[in-house]
Amino acid sequence: MTEQLSQFLSSLKEKAEKGQLLYIGQNITRVDGLEKVMGKPIYTADLLDRNTVYAKLIRSKVPHGTIKDIDVSLAKSVPRLLDVITWRDIPGINESASILPDRELFCSSVVRSTGDILGAVVAETYGAAVDGVDAIKVSYDPLPAVFDPIEALKPDSVKVHPGGNIAKQMKIRKGDVDRGFAASKVMIENTYRTQFQDATPMETEMGLAFPRDDGSVVVIGSMQSPHNTQAALAKILDLPLKRVRVVQASTGGAFGPKSDETPYDVCGAAAVAALKLRRPVFCSLDREESMIVHTKRHPFVIRHRTGATAEGQLTAAEVEMVSDAGAYASLGVYVLGRATFHSVGAYEIPNVKVDSYLVYTNNTYAGSLRGFGGPQAAFAMESQMEELARRLGMDPLEFRMRNMLAPGRRTATGHLMDAGCGLPQCVEAVVKSSSYWHKRELYRNQTGPVRRGLGMAFLIHGNSLGPEGNDYAVVQIEIGRDGKVSLGTGLTEYGTGAVSGIIQVAASVLGVPVGDFVLERPDTIKHGESGPTVASRTVVIGGNAAKLAAAKLRKRLDLVAADLLKVDKRDVLIVDGVAYDRHNSASNVPWSRLVEEAYRRGVKMAEEGYFMAPPSPWDAETGQGTPYLQYTWGALICEVQVDVETGRYDVTDVHAAYDVGRAVNPAGVMGQIYGGTVQGLGYATMEELVHKDGEVVNPSLGDYYIPTSMDIPKNFKAYIVEVPGTLGPFGAKVIAEPPIVLPAPAVRNAVLDATGVSVNDLPVTSEKVLMGLKRKPPE
Amino acid sequence: MNEAEQSFYVDSSDRLIDVLRDRLGLKSVKEGCGTGDCGLCAVLLNGRLVNSCLVLAAQCRGASVTTLEGLLNDPLTRKLQSKFLEHNAAQCGFCTPAMLVAAKDILTHTPRPSTGQIQAGLSGVLCRCTGYYPIIQAIKEVSEEEKERS
Repeated sequence: MTEQLSQFLSSLKEKAEKGQLLYIGQNITRVDGLEKVMGKPIYTADLLDRNTVYAKLIRSKVPHGTIKDIDVSLAKSVPRLLDVITWRDIPGINESASILPDRELFCSSVVRSTGDILGAVVAETYGAAVDGVDAIKVSYDPLPAVFDPIEALKPDSVKVHPGGNIAKQMKIRKGDVDRGFAASKVMIENTYRTQFQDATPMETEMGLAFPRDDGSVVVIGSMQSPHNTQAALAKILDLPLKRVRVVQASTGGAFGPKSDETPYDVCGAAAVAALKLRRPVFCSLDREESMIVHTKRHPFVIRHRTGATAEGQLTAAEVEMVSDAGAYASLGVYVLGRATFHSVGAYEIPNVKVDSYLVYTNNTYAGSLRGFGGPQAAFAMESQMEELARRLGMDPLEFRMRNMLAPGRRTATGHLMDAGCGLPQCVEAVVKSSSYWHKRELYRNQTGPVRRGLGMAFLIHGNSLGPEGNDYAVVQIEIGRDGKVSLGTGLTEYGTGAVSGIIQVAASVLGVPVGDFVLERPDTIKHGESGPTVASRTVVIGGNAAKLAAAKLRKRLDLVAADLLKVDKRDVLIVDGVAYDRHNSASNVPWSRLVEEAYRRGVKMAEEGYFMAPPSPWDAETGQGTPYLQYTWGALICEVQVDVETGRYDVTDVHAAYDVGRAVNPAGVMGQIYGGTVQGLGYATMEELVHKDGEVVNPSLGDYYIPTSMDIPKNFKAYIVEVPGTLGPFGAKVIAEPPIVLPAPAVRNAVLDATGVSVNDLPVTSEKVLMGLKRKPPE
Repeated sequence: MNEAEQSFYVDSSDRLIDVLRDRLGLKSVKEGCGTGDCGLCAVLLNGRLVNSCLVLAAQCRGASVTTLEGLLNDPLTRKLQSKFLEHNAAQCGFCTPAMLVAAKDILTHTPRPSTGQIQAGLSGVLCRCTGYYPIIQAIKEVSEEEKERS
């Protein structure tokens, strides 16, 4: 045994003796790491066999119209084409929708956006399927269309759905904003606009369906939520739930849209075709289709009126948010909720009035994307904070610190913050790391064409599904005869490493190394309904479920070990796969022997943990209550360098700190901070999926830019702050989504600091900065 | 093909990526766009990093083609793999094979690369999970450890 290893073991033993957690806070290699660095065939497209045929979706080319005819006569002559399926081939309910039943899988009479799906061509080869789609002629009676959500709100607007264009409306009423504004010395009103952002998971959507002789179907696909996919497919296929088996393949990134409709679309089309043709069918989206068809980040128009006293105390905020749903509501219903609850950010304001609307248009539709309404809300609020500070002549950091949430203060929903609020510590970390006050002084009187600027933003991010549904998970753990521990759950791994985090929790409770765990592929036939894998909830909610399952098994193993060691069960320690007598470590039993003995005695070695978060009540009329059970906190300070002659700028430095309660795997947490921040910088500086008359103008990675390795800040310092929360295992809070939120407002504010130009519509491009500089009166 | 001679007929329109994946079963080569933008299908063609979705298989007559599968016994690649694991540089894993091939390419041509040279060497391969920092760090450490050894 190497010295390093024996040191590690004795430190674990010491921890166990003190009743501490063995593997929490350790940078343990993720369980799915090895197969990934070996390039193993673990993704859906790697699993096709020679029998597989290909389905390619037929998509609408008009943004709004009545379908007159789908002419397949030319397509029928394409060699190796097998079939064209449309809504008439759907055995069950023609629906692929998440919350509101407003979207058909294959449009039967009306198309409402250019992403709409009319059916699929099935062929022996991928190329023949593409040729088949090209040969299909769809004729429409065009309908008038609306592309601007503000226009769509007007009573005389074109109606995208018969029920009108408002899909969802929410509000917050706290205090009395009129009184608040009357008490203010300064008041700023601005309108902010955000853009469509594409998630761009590196793997697009894929589904592979196998028909079974008994009429059931097995579907393997790239997705976040296999149980939701199973439920959607059972409806489409008119099969009992249990006759639809859904297995999640390794998923090459997701970021939100893979929890929405596209997995239902590709898996649904593949399954309908597979059952009709009795062949395995593979349906995938190419990059262009993926960018058009899957859900994107909602563009928001946010009118924000915010007031403060001369001393810099916030008095009131009045906010109106209009979110462009595109043609279907999807998860936009809940995105609106998160945006609404986060509309005044991480600050205490006594008087708040928010009205928000999710509005249908004939643009392609939006839905889940990392951050889920948070980025839009924070962009507007943090911009307002910057403008207010400048108007007041106060330092923006000082102004924020005066108003930020801290223990004893209340959120916009009246939620009283307890000691779990780690925002002040996050702020302290980034102020120190960035040498903020020194830099402030340094950049005070800059001249010449190159100017530097500082920008910042503070984060509040509600944990738990809260208003988005019951927040529960099931985790199943089985200790096999060979001593290996298999862990299965309907919660999925798609890159974050969160399921490895669950395993670290279970390993800590059981006392077995993470390396002895085997992670099962999420499979609806084996694993209990765990709700969707969304909202960064896997470690927090799934971790609690794993803890419960592991604790049940540990209790039984302690009894067996106590017998073998001839001690009381309270004196049993299980450390890294060895059971000890607490008082005499020479007396010990290896894990394999312990497991063997447990099996000999017939001890039940499989368990299930079920955890449901407590209710989080809030009032729909006033928005008041506790919509979330705890919050993740964060602060980010960035520095930009701007060429004021061209508008070109670079984000050179980023200092970010997040309060994650308890970092189960610090390297995993850092991975989320790095990745989320860079994705957020893309949103801030370059990413925009442009629609023109309902058509996506730039659906390719050649025309829609995401950050490359050349586009990242030179100096990036990230910090983990640990102020335990009350919900997650061992105090953990969520981290996957939050880092995407702050870059956009921080960059915008840094550019303002450097140039005096306020860019109020994202992304902050060099062109916009230059235009602003040209409009500005000379210094 | 990965150090072994292979001969077979290809169609004039067959892309290299399809031959690698479908005919030879080299599934580490991923398709992220098919238009040469994402770099997930990067392989070494005669020692140069290319997007195999933009290369016709017929152009590879007599050439040497290397994918991650062909590098699994290469000592430098193995070090890169273990540093990738250590730094959590493989998250969803979909860009990982191309990143490893690109990293091998960087270190073959520039054994002591600067951060900027690593960034430039990886710039043809997109990653949406890591923000690139863990990948750059992993490559840096391998190059530093290699220097210490020599």
